[in-house]
Formats: sequence, C-alpha cells, structure tokens
Amino acid sequence: MEPGAPPTGAAPPGDETADFERLLMPLLGSAYSTAFRLTRNAADAEDLVQEAVLLACRGFGGFEAGTNFKAWFFRILTNAYFSKYRQQRRRGTAVELEDTPELYLYLQTASLGLHAKVTDPAEALMNRLDAELVGAALQELPDEYRAVAALYFINDMTYDDIAASLDVPIGTVRSRLHRARRMLQRALWRAAQEHGIVADLDAGTA
Amino acid sequence: MTEPERYTCEDVFRRLDDFLDRELGPTEMELVQRHLDSCEQCAREHRFEARVIDSIRGKLAHLRAPDLLVKRVSRLLEDEKHRR
Repeated sequence: MEPGAPPTGAAPPGDETADFERLLMPLLGSAYSTAFRLTRNAADAEDLVQEAVLLACRGFGGFEAGTNFKAWFFRILTNAYFSKYRQQRRRGTAVELEDTPELYLYLQTASLGLHAKVTDPAEALMNRLDAELVGAALQELPDEYRAVAALYFINDMTYDDIAASLDVPIGTVRSRLHRARRMLQRALWRAAQEHGIVADLDAGTA
Repeated sequence: MTEPERYTCEDVFRRLDDFLDRELGPTEMELVQRHLDSCEQCAREHRFEARVIDSIRGKLAHLRAPDLLVKRVSRLLEDEKHRR
C-alpha cells in the first residue's frame, strides 16, 4: 500500500467514525471557542459546532490520513459559518477600523505620556482591559478579519494552518491578520476611552 | 548575495508583524533580531507589540465546550455509527 493512501474502504464504517471521534474530541474546546468568537453568541456557536461535526463526520472519507486534521476540520467549520451567517450585518464602525495605522496603541499611549511614566506601557494599558472588553473588541471586526484573528489568537495557528483552515492563500492570511491586529488595537483603545481607562492612565491613577 | 548585512529601522518596521509571528526566514529573523539588539527605539516598539499580542491571546483563551454540547456531539456520532 502506498504511503498516504486514503483509508477509505479499508475500515468498516463504524471504525471510521470511531477514528473521527478520536481526532475530533480533543478539538471541541477550541472549536467551540472559535465558533463563539465567530457567531458572537453561545447558542449559535453550539449549533455551528454540531453542524460542522456532522458535515465533517460524513465527509471524513475525504480526509487524507496523516495530514492536518485540525486545519481540515476548521475549514469545514469556517465554511459552515460563512455560508450561514455571512452578510448578516455590516457595522459602520468597521470602515473606520480598516484605516487604523500601524503601532496604533503604541502611538496613543506615547502621546498620553505613558511611556515616560511607566516602564511597561503596554502592560499598564492591557492590565486594565479585561477579557470581556477584549472579546467585545474582537466582535467589532468584520467577518473575514475576525475569522483570521480568532484562528490566530485562540488556536495559536501558523499562517500556513490558518490559510488551510480558511482555504485562502497565505498572502491573504498575512495581510488580513496584520490588519486585524491594528483594527483590534483601535477597538481596544476606544473601549479604554469609553470605560474611563484612558482618563485614569492620563491622571496616573491606573 | 544581495541580502544586506544590516537592516535599517524602516526595514525592521516593515517586517515587525512577520517577525512577531516568527514567519520570516532564518536570515531575516536574524537580521531583525540583530537590529533590535542595537536599536532601543525599535526594541521598544517590538516589546510593546509583543506584549499586546500576548495579552490579547491570554484574554481570548479557550472557553470550555459546554457539557451539553459535548453530550450532543457524542450522541450525534453514536447515531452516525449506526446510520451506515
């Protein structure tokens, strides 16, 4: 038998499903986390994961043994998401976010004078932004940026794995991710302003 | 060899995101690192960005899959085993 030959047909169907289950179950937490960031709510995230599991299970014959199961499964999950939820809404704020320059938070905190006041200005700011605010900032990104950011931040994926998961070229992943990070920085700064964190940092009471 | 032996601040700035993600080739990684070791301004920017990324990563960390979802998925897979 050739190496890498598809296992399809070799094993009885029940066994194949058992193989699938063995590969899938350790990924459920990250699948749910990613689905939650994509759909923005728990109920839709659970539905999306179940839909992806069913599609993946039935399409498991198409998975090439020995290749990256995680990327293969996440591709099915993100495809399911995009076909179901895409274009559901467009936020006006997204346009503004897309123009965010590089080093956005660095420059904002510098002009606040924070760099002269503390040894680690990034930490001084980020310590004040809790998980809920960071999650909310991610929600502001348009779909295609949010998907890349979720795979990158939650799953610690390389550009290659993200490209395989989203079925886009690696150059697209690179430019979207870099941009997504800048957009996220701007959304975080706005959250910091709205929650009085910037004022606190400015007054030195952080 | 056309590869320059040293990077300018501009060279490093353009590669900062890729450097942070370790997505540059070994030579470029080395050249950026060498610049950061000798340029305090670029090193500050790099430290800041790295810290922000780490912090976001920590705060968006894994949510646990709800027990009910795990049960539903298990049941769904059981059904699939008997379906064929």
